[in-house]
Amino acid sequence: MAQWQIAMIMMIGYLVVALFIGVLAGRNQDKSSLEEFTTAKGNLGLFVMWFLMGGAVFSAFSFLGAPGWAFSRGAPALYIITYTAFAILPWYIIGPKIGAIGRKHNIYTVAGFLQLRYSSRVIAMIIGIVALLASIQYLATQMKGMAYIFNIMTEGRIPFWLGALLSYGIVVVYVATGGLRAAAWSDVFQGILMIVISWTVGLTIVNQLHDSVPNMFRNLTQDNPGFLQIGAEGSTMSTMAYTTTILVSTIGFLMWPHLFSKSYATKARTIKKTVLVYPMFALFLIPLLFVGFSAVNVIQSDQIGSPDEILPYLITTVLTLPGWVYGLVGAGALAAAMSTADAITHSASLEFTDGLIRNVKRDLSKKATLLIMRIGVFVIGGLAYFITVFGGQGLIALLLGAYGSIVQFAPGVYGALYSKKITAPAVITGLISGTVVNYYFQLVAESTPLDINPGILGLIVNVGLVVLISAFTQGKEMPMAEEYRKIGS
Amino acid sequence: MTKQKFVKIYCLSLTIPFSLLVFPLFSIANRETPFIIGLPFSVFWVIFWIVVTFIIVLFLYKIDPDKDEKEVH
Repeated sequence: MAQWQIAMIMMIGYLVVALFIGVLAGRNQDKSSLEEFTTAKGNLGLFVMWFLMGGAVFSAFSFLGAPGWAFSRGAPALYIITYTAFAILPWYIIGPKIGAIGRKHNIYTVAGFLQLRYSSRVIAMIIGIVALLASIQYLATQMKGMAYIFNIMTEGRIPFWLGALLSYGIVVVYVATGGLRAAAWSDVFQGILMIVISWTVGLTIVNQLHDSVPNMFRNLTQDNPGFLQIGAEGSTMSTMAYTTTILVSTIGFLMWPHLFSKSYATKARTIKKTVLVYPMFALFLIPLLFVGFSAVNVIQSDQIGSPDEILPYLITTVLTLPGWVYGLVGAGALAAAMSTADAITHSASLEFTDGLIRNVKRDLSKKATLLIMRIGVFVIGGLAYFITVFGGQGLIALLLGAYGSIVQFAPGVYGALYSKKITAPAVITGLISGTVVNYYFQLVAESTPLDINPGILGLIVNVGLVVLISAFTQGKEMPMAEEYRKIGS
Repeated sequence: MTKQKFVKIYCLSLTIPFSLLVFPLFSIANRETPFIIGLPFSVFWVIFWIVVTFIIVLFLYKIDPDKDEKEVH
Protein backbone atom coordinates (compact mmCIF):
# COMPACT_ATOMS: atom_id res chain seq x y z
CA MET A 1 0.00 0.00 0.00
CA ALA A 2 1.31 3.45 -0.86
CA GLN A 3 2.16 5.83 1.98
CA TRP A 4 -0.56 8.28 1.12
CA GLN A 5 -3.13 5.48 1.29
CA ILE A 6 -2.04 4.52 4.81
CA ALA A 7 -2.16 8.18 5.78
CA MET A 8 -5.60 8.66 4.30
CA ILE A 9 -7.03 5.60 6.02
CA MET A 10 -5.65 6.73 9.35
CA MET A 11 -7.02 10.24 9.00
CA ILE A 12 -10.45 9.03 7.95
CA GLY A 13 -10.36 6.53 10.81
CA TYR A 14 -9.57 9.40 13.16
CA LEU A 15 -12.49 11.44 11.83
CA VAL A 16 -14.85 8.52 12.40
CA VAL A 17 -13.68 8.14 16.01
CA ALA A 18 -13.98 11.90 16.58
CA LEU A 19 -17.53 11.93 15.27
CA PHE A 20 -18.40 8.89 17.36
CA ILE A 21 -17.08 10.41 20.59
CA GLY A 22 -18.72 13.76 19.93
CA VAL A 23 -22.13 12.31 19.23
CA LEU A 24 -21.87 9.79 22.06
CA ALA A 25 -21.01 12.47 24.62
CA GLY A 26 -24.19 14.35 23.85
CA ARG A 27 -26.33 11.19 24.07
CA ASN A 28 -28.65 10.68 27.05
CA GLN A 29 -28.53 14.40 27.80
CA ASP A 30 -31.60 16.56 27.76
CA LYS A 31 -31.81 17.66 24.15
CA SER A 32 -34.40 20.33 24.78
CA SER A 33 -32.46 22.08 27.52
CA LEU A 34 -30.91 25.46 26.78
CA GLU A 35 -28.68 25.14 29.87
CA GLU A 36 -27.30 21.80 28.69
CA PHE A 37 -26.52 23.15 25.22
CA THR A 38 -24.87 26.36 26.43
CA THR A 39 -22.99 25.39 29.60
CA ALA A 40 -23.47 21.62 30.01
CA LYS A 41 -25.59 22.54 33.06
CA GLY A 42 -22.50 23.96 34.76
CA ASN A 43 -21.21 20.56 35.84
CA LEU A 44 -18.24 19.64 33.64
CA GLY A 45 -15.55 17.76 35.55
CA LEU A 46 -11.89 18.57 35.98
CA PHE A 47 -10.46 16.16 33.42
CA VAL A 48 -12.78 17.39 30.67
CA MET A 49 -12.27 21.02 31.61
CA TRP A 50 -8.55 20.59 31.38
CA PHE A 51 -8.74 19.58 27.76
CA LEU A 52 -11.54 21.93 26.88
CA MET A 53 -9.31 24.84 27.84
CA GLY A 54 -6.26 23.05 26.47
CA GLY A 55 -7.95 22.68 23.11
CA ALA A 56 -7.54 26.41 22.76
CA VAL A 57 -3.78 26.04 22.93
CA PHE A 58 -3.61 23.09 20.60
CA SER A 59 -4.88 24.75 17.49
CA ALA A 60 -3.82 24.62 13.89
CA PHE A 61 -1.71 27.62 14.82
CA SER A 62 0.35 25.70 17.36
CA PHE A 63 0.68 22.60 15.22
CA LEU A 64 1.62 24.31 11.97
CA GLY A 65 2.29 27.91 13.01
CA ALA A 66 4.64 27.29 15.95
CA PRO A 67 7.15 25.29 13.89
CA GLY A 68 6.75 27.94 11.18
CA TRP A 69 7.61 30.76 13.59
CA ALA A 70 10.60 28.89 14.97
CA PHE A 71 11.83 28.14 11.48
CA SER A 72 11.42 31.59 10.01
CA ARG A 73 11.87 33.86 13.04
CA GLY A 74 13.96 32.03 15.64
CA ALA A 75 13.84 33.15 19.28
CA PRO A 76 10.66 35.28 18.95
CA ALA A 77 8.83 31.95 18.69
CA LEU A 78 9.41 31.66 22.45
CA TYR A 79 6.57 34.14 22.82
CA ILE A 80 4.15 31.29 22.09
CA ILE A 81 5.07 29.21 25.13
CA THR A 82 5.45 32.28 27.34
CA TYR A 83 1.97 33.63 26.71
CA THR A 84 0.42 30.16 26.83
CA ALA A 85 1.83 29.60 30.31
CA PHE A 86 0.67 32.94 31.70
CA ALA A 87 -2.51 33.88 29.84
CA ILE A 88 -4.72 31.53 31.85
CA LEU A 89 -3.50 32.63 35.30
CA PRO A 90 -5.98 35.52 35.81
CA TRP A 91 -8.77 32.96 35.39
CA TYR A 92 -8.03 31.62 38.86
CA ILE A 93 -9.31 34.91 40.26
CA ILE A 94 -11.88 36.10 37.72
CA GLY A 95 -13.27 32.71 36.59
CA PRO A 96 -15.09 31.79 39.83
CA LYS A 97 -16.40 35.36 40.09
CA ILE A 98 -17.77 35.35 36.54
CA GLY A 99 -19.23 31.89 37.17
CA ALA A 100 -21.02 33.03 40.33
CA ILE A 101 -22.51 36.08 38.60
CA GLY A 102 -23.55 33.91 35.65
CA ARG A 103 -25.28 31.28 37.77
CA LYS A 104 -27.15 33.87 39.76
CA HIS A 105 -28.49 35.67 36.70
CA ASN A 106 -28.62 32.89 34.11
CA ILE A 107 -25.89 34.30 31.89
CA TYR A 108 -23.91 32.17 29.48
CA THR A 109 -22.10 34.63 27.20
CA VAL A 110 -19.78 37.63 27.26
CA ALA A 111 -22.52 39.70 25.63
CA GLY A 112 -25.03 38.81 28.34
CA PHE A 113 -22.45 39.46 31.06
CA LEU A 114 -21.76 43.01 29.88
CA GLN A 115 -25.35 43.80 28.95
CA LEU A 116 -26.60 43.18 32.49
CA ARG A 117 -23.80 45.09 34.22
CA TYR A 118 -23.96 48.17 32.00
CA SER A 119 -27.73 48.03 31.37
CA SER A 120 -26.91 48.45 27.72
CA ARG A 121 -28.26 46.55 24.75
CA VAL A 122 -25.85 48.34 22.45
CA ILE A 123 -22.83 46.77 24.17
CA ALA A 124 -24.32 43.30 23.78
CA MET A 125 -25.05 43.89 20.12
CA ILE A 126 -21.52 45.11 19.40
CA ILE A 127 -20.03 42.12 21.23
CA GLY A 128 -22.32 39.76 19.32
CA ILE A 129 -21.21 41.11 15.95
CA VAL A 130 -17.50 41.39 16.75
CA ALA A 131 -17.47 37.90 18.25
CA LEU A 132 -19.12 36.49 15.15
CA LEU A 133 -16.70 38.12 12.71
CA ALA A 134 -13.64 37.29 14.80
CA SER A 135 -14.75 33.69 15.19
CA ILE A 136 -15.23 33.26 11.48
CA GLN A 137 -11.70 34.49 10.90
CA TYR A 138 -10.42 32.09 13.57
CA LEU A 139 -12.38 29.24 12.05
CA ALA A 140 -11.13 29.99 8.56
CA THR A 141 -7.54 29.67 9.80
CA GLN A 142 -8.29 26.34 11.44
CA MET A 143 -10.07 25.08 8.40
CA LYS A 144 -7.24 26.06 6.10
CA GLY A 145 -4.98 24.04 8.38
CA MET A 146 -7.24 20.98 8.18
CA ALA A 147 -7.69 21.16 4.43
CA TYR A 148 -4.02 21.75 3.88
CA ILE A 149 -2.97 18.80 5.97
CA PHE A 150 -5.41 16.49 4.19
CA ASN A 151 -4.11 17.69 0.86
CA ILE A 152 -0.42 17.32 1.53
CA MET A 153 -0.58 14.04 3.46
CA THR A 154 -2.50 12.34 0.67
CA GLU A 155 -0.09 13.86 -1.85
CA GLY A 156 -2.77 16.02 -3.40
CA ARG A 157 -5.43 13.36 -3.79
CA ILE A 158 -7.96 14.96 -1.49
CA PRO A 159 -8.58 18.46 -2.80
CA PHE A 160 -8.67 21.50 -0.56
CA TRP A 161 -12.46 21.95 -0.61
CA LEU A 162 -13.14 18.32 0.25
CA GLY A 163 -10.65 18.14 3.13
CA ALA A 164 -12.19 21.22 4.74
CA LEU A 165 -15.70 19.94 4.17
CA LEU A 166 -15.03 16.48 5.62
CA SER A 167 -13.26 17.53 8.79
CA TYR A 168 -15.27 20.63 9.60
CA GLY A 169 -18.54 19.00 8.62
CA ILE A 170 -17.99 16.50 11.41
CA VAL A 171 -17.36 19.28 13.92
CA VAL A 172 -20.58 21.03 12.94
CA VAL A 173 -22.59 17.83 13.34
CA TYR A 174 -21.45 16.99 16.83
CA VAL A 175 -21.58 20.56 18.10
CA ALA A 176 -25.10 21.12 16.79
CA THR A 177 -26.37 17.92 18.37
CA GLY A 178 -24.39 17.66 21.61
CA GLY A 179 -23.55 21.30 22.43
CA LEU A 180 -20.77 22.07 24.87
CA ARG A 181 -20.53 18.56 26.31
CA ALA A 182 -19.83 17.04 22.89
CA ALA A 183 -17.16 19.63 22.17
CA ALA A 184 -15.59 18.96 25.57
CA TRP A 185 -15.32 15.18 25.22
CA SER A 186 -13.99 15.43 21.68
CA ASP A 187 -11.34 17.78 22.99
CA VAL A 188 -10.16 15.20 25.52
CA PHE A 189 -9.51 12.67 22.79
CA GLN A 190 -8.01 15.23 20.44
CA GLY A 191 -5.82 16.79 23.11
CA ILE A 192 -4.25 13.50 24.17
CA LEU A 193 -3.63 12.55 20.57
CA MET A 194 -1.94 15.82 19.83
CA ILE A 195 0.37 15.75 22.85
CA VAL A 196 1.54 12.23 22.07
CA ILE A 197 2.12 13.05 18.42
CA SER A 198 3.96 16.31 18.94
CA TRP A 199 6.45 14.65 21.28
CA THR A 200 7.09 11.44 19.35
CA VAL A 201 7.15 12.91 15.87
CA GLY A 202 8.81 16.15 16.93
CA LEU A 203 11.75 14.47 18.61
CA THR A 204 12.06 11.92 15.78
CA ILE A 205 12.50 14.74 13.30
CA VAL A 206 15.12 16.49 15.42
CA ASN A 207 17.07 13.27 15.86
CA GLN A 208 16.98 12.39 12.18
CA LEU A 209 18.23 15.81 11.12
CA HIS A 210 20.73 16.60 13.88
CA ASP A 211 21.23 13.44 16.00
CA SER A 212 20.12 15.21 19.19
CA VAL A 213 18.59 18.40 20.58
CA PRO A 214 21.88 19.84 21.94
CA ASN A 215 23.50 19.12 18.59
CA MET A 216 20.76 20.93 16.77
CA PHE A 217 21.20 24.04 18.90
CA ARG A 218 24.99 23.90 18.54
CA ASN A 219 24.65 23.84 14.75
CA LEU A 220 22.09 26.61 14.84
CA THR A 221 24.07 29.01 17.02
CA GLN A 222 27.22 28.38 14.99
CA ASP A 223 25.63 28.98 11.59
CA ASN A 224 23.13 31.68 12.51
CA PRO A 225 24.45 33.85 15.33
CA GLY A 226 21.72 36.18 16.56
CA PHE A 227 18.91 33.90 15.45
CA LEU A 228 18.18 32.88 19.03
CA GLN A 229 18.53 36.38 20.40
CA ILE A 230 15.67 38.86 20.29
CA GLY A 231 16.44 42.31 18.97
CA ALA A 232 20.05 41.44 18.11
CA GLU A 233 21.73 41.92 14.74
CA GLY A 234 20.13 39.34 12.46
CA SER A 235 17.07 38.97 14.66
CA THR A 236 13.59 39.14 13.18
CA MET A 237 11.83 40.98 15.99
CA SER A 238 12.57 43.98 18.20
CA THR A 239 12.42 43.72 21.98
CA MET A 240 9.42 46.08 22.14
CA ALA A 241 7.48 44.09 19.57
CA TYR A 242 8.28 40.87 21.45
CA THR A 243 7.12 42.20 24.81
CA THR A 244 3.94 43.83 23.54
CA THR A 245 3.02 40.77 21.49
CA ILE A 246 3.21 38.66 24.65
CA LEU A 247 1.17 41.27 26.53
CA VAL A 248 -1.58 41.50 23.95
CA SER A 249 -1.87 37.72 23.69
CA THR A 250 -1.91 37.31 27.46
CA ILE A 251 -4.60 39.95 28.02
CA GLY A 252 -6.66 38.91 25.02
CA PHE A 253 -6.69 35.17 25.68
CA LEU A 254 -9.46 35.08 28.29
CA MET A 255 -11.52 37.65 26.40
CA TRP A 256 -12.23 35.10 23.69
CA PRO A 257 -15.87 34.18 24.24
CA HIS A 258 -15.22 30.45 24.00
CA LEU A 259 -12.81 30.65 26.93
CA PHE A 260 -14.54 33.36 28.95
CA SER A 261 -17.82 31.45 28.90
CA LYS A 262 -16.26 28.29 30.30
CA SER A 263 -16.41 30.09 33.65
CA TYR A 264 -20.13 29.31 33.63
CA ALA A 265 -19.63 25.65 32.82
CA THR A 266 -18.04 24.45 36.04
CA LYS A 267 -17.41 24.98 39.76
CA ALA A 268 -14.84 27.30 41.33
CA ARG A 269 -12.64 24.43 42.46
CA THR A 270 -12.50 22.95 38.97
CA ILE A 271 -11.56 26.31 37.47
CA LYS A 272 -8.70 26.61 39.94
CA LYS A 273 -7.44 23.12 39.31
CA THR A 274 -7.58 23.75 35.57
CA VAL A 275 -5.41 26.83 35.97
CA LEU A 276 -3.07 24.80 38.14
CA VAL A 277 -1.98 22.42 35.44
CA TYR A 278 -2.14 24.83 32.55
CA PRO A 279 1.46 26.09 32.49
CA MET A 280 2.38 22.49 31.68
CA PHE A 281 0.38 22.73 28.47
CA ALA A 282 2.83 25.38 27.35
CA LEU A 283 5.67 22.94 27.79
CA PHE A 284 3.88 20.37 25.63
CA LEU A 285 4.44 22.72 22.72
CA ILE A 286 8.23 22.68 23.02
CA PRO A 287 8.93 19.86 20.54
CA LEU A 288 6.93 21.74 17.93
CA LEU A 289 9.32 24.68 18.28
CA PHE A 290 12.26 22.29 18.05
CA VAL A 291 10.94 20.98 14.74
CA GLY A 292 11.06 24.50 13.37
CA PHE A 293 14.57 25.15 14.68
CA SER A 294 15.79 21.87 13.26
CA ALA A 295 14.80 22.82 9.72
CA VAL A 296 16.89 26.01 9.65
CA ASN A 297 19.77 25.62 7.19
CA VAL A 298 18.37 22.24 6.16
CA ILE A 299 15.47 23.71 4.21
CA GLN A 300 15.71 26.98 2.29
CA SER A 301 12.71 29.18 2.85
CA ASP A 302 12.01 29.43 -0.88
CA GLN A 303 11.50 25.68 -1.04
CA ILE A 304 8.19 25.99 0.75
CA GLY A 305 5.18 28.22 0.09
CA SER A 306 4.93 29.64 3.60
CA PRO A 307 6.74 28.90 6.88
CA ASP A 308 3.59 27.19 8.20
CA GLU A 309 4.20 24.35 5.80
CA ILE A 310 7.48 23.37 7.39
CA LEU A 311 6.26 20.44 9.50
CA PRO A 312 4.32 18.62 6.77
CA TYR A 313 7.05 19.45 4.26
CA LEU A 314 9.71 17.87 6.45
CA ILE A 315 7.66 14.73 6.87
CA THR A 316 6.63 14.21 3.28
CA THR A 317 9.69 15.32 1.35
CA VAL A 318 12.82 15.53 3.46
CA LEU A 319 12.66 12.66 5.87
CA THR A 320 12.28 9.00 5.23
CA LEU A 321 9.46 8.20 7.55
CA PRO A 322 6.99 5.33 7.27
CA GLY A 323 3.44 5.96 6.05
CA TRP A 324 1.89 5.60 9.48
CA VAL A 325 3.81 8.65 10.64
CA TYR A 326 2.14 10.61 7.84
CA GLY A 327 -1.17 9.37 9.15
CA LEU A 328 -0.33 10.23 12.75
CA VAL A 329 0.72 13.76 11.95
CA GLY A 330 -2.32 14.20 9.77
CA ALA A 331 -4.59 13.02 12.55
CA GLY A 332 -2.76 15.17 15.11
CA ALA A 333 -3.12 18.31 13.03
CA LEU A 334 -6.77 17.57 12.36
CA ALA A 335 -7.27 17.02 16.09
CA ALA A 336 -5.62 20.32 16.89
CA ALA A 337 -7.70 22.24 14.41
CA MET A 338 -10.96 20.49 15.24
CA SER A 339 -10.68 20.85 19.00
CA THR A 340 -10.37 24.59 18.52
CA ALA A 341 -12.99 24.80 15.80
CA ASP A 342 -15.70 23.07 17.84
CA ALA A 343 -15.41 25.43 20.81
CA ILE A 344 -15.30 28.50 18.57
CA THR A 345 -18.29 27.46 16.48
CA HIS A 346 -20.28 26.76 19.63
CA SER A 347 -19.49 30.09 21.29
CA ALA A 348 -19.88 32.16 18.12
CA SER A 349 -23.41 30.87 17.78
CA LEU A 350 -24.14 31.61 21.44
CA GLU A 351 -22.72 35.13 21.40
CA PHE A 352 -24.47 36.13 18.21
CA THR A 353 -27.82 34.74 19.32
CA ASP A 354 -27.62 36.12 22.83
CA GLY A 355 -25.97 39.43 21.92
CA LEU A 356 -27.70 40.41 18.72
CA ILE A 357 -30.76 38.32 17.92
CA ARG A 358 -32.24 38.36 21.41
CA ASN A 359 -31.84 42.12 21.57
CA VAL A 360 -33.43 42.71 18.19
CA LYS A 361 -36.30 40.33 18.82
CA ARG A 362 -36.82 40.47 22.53
CA ASP A 363 -39.61 38.02 23.22
CA LEU A 364 -37.85 34.80 22.21
CA SER A 365 -38.74 31.73 24.22
CA LYS A 366 -36.03 29.41 25.53
CA LYS A 367 -37.06 26.83 23.00
CA ALA A 368 -36.77 29.25 20.08
CA THR A 369 -33.40 30.50 21.39
CA LEU A 370 -32.05 26.97 21.51
CA LEU A 371 -33.28 26.29 17.98
CA ILE A 372 -31.65 29.46 16.65
CA MET A 373 -28.38 28.47 18.35
CA ARG A 374 -28.42 25.06 16.74
CA ILE A 375 -29.17 26.52 13.30
CA GLY A 376 -26.49 29.15 14.00
CA VAL A 377 -23.89 26.40 14.26
CA PHE A 378 -24.65 25.36 10.68
CA VAL A 379 -24.83 28.92 9.36
CA ILE A 380 -21.54 29.94 10.95
CA GLY A 381 -19.96 26.71 9.76
CA GLY A 382 -21.16 27.40 6.24
CA LEU A 383 -19.95 31.01 6.25
CA ALA A 384 -16.51 30.05 7.50
CA TYR A 385 -16.33 27.29 4.93
CA PHE A 386 -17.11 29.57 2.00
CA ILE A 387 -14.62 32.16 3.16
CA THR A 388 -11.94 29.50 3.48
CA VAL A 389 -12.58 27.99 0.09
CA PHE A 390 -13.40 31.09 -1.94
CA GLY A 391 -11.60 33.83 0.01
CA GLY A 392 -12.34 37.44 -0.89
CA GLN A 393 -9.82 40.12 0.02
CA GLY A 394 -12.09 42.85 1.39
CA LEU A 395 -13.92 40.39 3.57
CA ILE A 396 -10.71 38.94 4.93
CA ALA A 397 -9.48 42.38 5.97
CA LEU A 398 -12.74 42.95 7.85
CA LEU A 399 -12.44 39.61 9.64
CA LEU A 400 -8.80 40.22 10.54
CA GLY A 401 -9.83 43.54 12.06
CA ALA A 402 -12.45 41.81 14.19
CA TYR A 403 -9.98 39.13 15.21
CA GLY A 404 -7.58 41.77 16.51
CA SER A 405 -10.29 43.55 18.45
CA ILE A 406 -11.22 40.77 20.88
CA VAL A 407 -8.60 42.08 23.31
CA GLN A 408 -10.51 45.39 23.33
CA PHE A 409 -13.23 43.69 25.42
CA ALA A 410 -10.82 43.69 28.36
CA PRO A 411 -11.49 47.16 29.85
CA GLY A 412 -15.25 46.52 29.81
CA VAL A 413 -14.88 43.10 31.42
CA TYR A 414 -12.43 44.11 34.14
CA GLY A 415 -14.39 47.31 34.71
CA ALA A 416 -17.52 45.22 35.26
CA LEU A 417 -15.76 42.95 37.72
CA TYR A 418 -13.85 45.44 39.81
CA SER A 419 -15.29 48.92 39.48
CA LYS A 420 -18.72 50.41 39.99
CA LYS A 421 -17.76 53.66 38.31
CA ILE A 422 -17.30 52.49 34.73
CA THR A 423 -20.27 53.42 32.56
CA ALA A 424 -21.81 52.12 29.34
CA PRO A 425 -21.00 55.12 27.08
CA ALA A 426 -17.38 54.90 28.25
CA VAL A 427 -17.10 51.20 27.43
CA ILE A 428 -18.76 51.61 24.04
CA THR A 429 -16.54 54.55 23.02
CA GLY A 430 -13.43 52.80 24.29
CA LEU A 431 -14.27 49.56 22.51
CA ILE A 432 -14.95 51.22 19.18
CA SER A 433 -11.93 53.56 19.35
CA GLY A 434 -9.62 50.75 20.41
CA THR A 435 -10.85 48.63 17.55
CA VAL A 436 -10.34 51.43 15.03
CA VAL A 437 -6.82 52.17 16.27
CA ASN A 438 -5.91 48.50 16.17
CA TYR A 439 -7.39 48.15 12.70
CA TYR A 440 -5.50 51.17 11.39
CA PHE A 441 -2.10 50.09 12.67
CA GLN A 442 -2.61 46.45 11.80
CA LEU A 443 -3.88 46.78 8.27
CA VAL A 444 -3.38 50.33 7.01
CA ALA A 445 -0.25 51.88 8.50
CA GLU A 446 3.19 50.69 7.43
CA SER A 447 4.64 50.61 10.91
CA THR A 448 3.66 51.40 14.49
CA PRO A 449 5.14 53.94 16.92
CA LEU A 450 8.10 52.39 18.78
CA ASP A 451 7.22 49.05 17.18
CA ILE A 452 4.45 48.53 19.76
CA ASN A 453 1.88 45.87 18.91
CA PRO A 454 -1.27 47.42 17.30
CA GLY A 455 -3.52 45.69 19.84
CA ILE A 456 -1.68 47.34 22.72
CA LEU A 457 -1.93 50.76 21.03
CA GLY A 458 -5.66 50.21 20.73
CA LEU A 459 -5.84 49.14 24.34
CA ILE A 460 -4.02 52.27 25.55
CA VAL A 461 -6.54 54.48 23.74
CA ASN A 462 -9.38 52.26 24.93
CA VAL A 463 -8.44 52.35 28.63
CA GLY A 464 -7.77 56.10 28.50
CA LEU A 465 -11.20 56.79 27.05
CA VAL A 466 -12.98 54.42 29.44
CA VAL A 467 -11.49 56.15 32.47
CA LEU A 468 -12.03 59.65 31.10
CA ILE A 469 -15.59 59.24 29.85
CA SER A 470 -16.67 57.31 32.96
CA ALA A 471 -15.70 60.33 35.01
CA PHE A 472 -18.05 62.56 33.00
CA THR A 473 -21.01 60.23 32.65
CA GLN A 474 -21.74 59.36 36.27
CA GLY A 475 -25.30 59.67 37.40
CA LYS A 476 -27.32 57.17 35.46
CA GLU A 477 -28.39 54.32 37.72
CA MET A 478 -26.52 51.06 37.23
CA PRO A 479 -28.31 48.67 39.57
CA MET A 480 -25.93 45.79 38.90
CA ALA A 481 -22.65 47.66 39.32
CA GLU A 482 -22.34 47.15 43.06
CA GLU A 483 -23.51 43.55 42.91
CA TYR A 484 -20.99 42.57 40.20
CA ARG A 485 -18.21 44.08 42.26
CA LYS A 486 -19.26 42.33 45.45
CA ILE A 487 -20.02 38.81 44.25
CA GLY A 488 -17.11 36.50 44.91
CA SER A 489 -14.71 39.02 46.37
CA MET B 1 -5.89 34.93 55.61
CA THR B 2 -8.65 36.93 53.97
CA LYS B 3 -9.62 36.54 50.38
CA GLN B 4 -8.46 40.02 49.40
CA LYS B 5 -5.06 39.30 50.83
CA PHE B 6 -4.83 36.06 48.91
CA VAL B 7 -5.69 37.84 45.65
CA LYS B 8 -2.88 40.30 46.31
CA ILE B 9 -0.37 37.55 47.02
CA TYR B 10 -1.55 35.69 43.94
CA CYS B 11 -1.10 38.64 41.61
CA LEU B 12 2.23 39.73 43.02
CA SER B 13 3.87 36.33 43.10
CA LEU B 14 2.96 35.61 39.49
CA THR B 15 3.92 39.03 38.17
CA ILE B 16 7.50 38.27 39.16
CA PRO B 17 8.14 35.30 36.84
CA PHE B 18 6.13 37.00 34.09
CA SER B 19 8.25 40.13 34.20
CA LEU B 20 11.40 38.02 33.98
CA LEU B 21 10.20 36.71 30.63
CA VAL B 22 9.46 40.05 28.97
CA PHE B 23 11.70 43.03 28.35
CA PRO B 24 13.36 44.91 29.98
CA LEU B 25 14.17 42.09 32.45
CA PHE B 26 14.38 39.41 29.79
CA SER B 27 17.60 41.13 28.64
CA ILE B 28 19.38 39.16 31.37
CA ALA B 29 18.65 35.96 29.51
CA ASN B 30 18.46 37.12 25.92
CA ARG B 31 21.55 35.28 24.69
CA GLU B 32 22.61 31.97 23.27
CA THR B 33 25.37 30.91 25.67
CA PRO B 34 26.02 29.26 28.04
CA PHE B 35 24.22 26.10 27.05
CA ILE B 36 22.37 24.48 29.94
CA ILE B 37 21.20 20.87 29.66
CA GLY B 38 21.80 21.17 25.94
CA LEU B 39 19.60 24.23 25.48
CA PRO B 40 20.65 27.77 24.59
CA PHE B 41 20.41 30.05 27.61
CA SER B 42 17.33 31.97 26.39
CA VAL B 43 15.37 28.78 25.69
CA PHE B 44 16.40 27.27 29.01
CA TRP B 45 15.43 30.47 30.86
CA VAL B 46 11.91 30.51 29.45
CA ILE B 47 11.32 26.83 30.21
CA PHE B 48 12.84 27.17 33.67
CA TRP B 49 10.54 30.04 34.69
CA ILE B 50 7.48 28.32 33.34
CA VAL B 51 8.28 25.32 35.54
CA VAL B 52 8.81 27.68 38.50
CA THR B 53 5.47 29.34 37.73
CA PHE B 54 3.83 25.94 37.79
CA ILE B 55 5.27 25.31 41.24
CA ILE B 56 4.21 28.75 42.48
CA VAL B 57 0.62 28.17 41.36
CA LEU B 58 0.60 24.77 43.10
CA PHE B 59 1.72 26.47 46.29
CA LEU B 60 -0.84 29.27 45.90
CA TYR B 61 -3.61 26.73 45.51
CA LYS B 62 -2.46 25.05 48.71
CA ILE B 63 -2.72 28.28 50.72
CA ASP B 64 -5.95 29.45 49.04
CA PRO B 65 -8.32 30.10 52.00
CA ASP B 66 -11.49 29.58 49.97
CA LYS B 67 -11.05 26.96 47.27
CA ASP B 68 -14.75 26.42 46.65
CA GLU B 69 -15.98 30.00 46.90
CA LYS B 70 -19.28 29.05 48.50
CA GLU B 71 -21.95 31.20 47.01
CA VAL B 72 -24.34 33.26 49.06
CA HIS B 73 -27.74 33.51 47.47
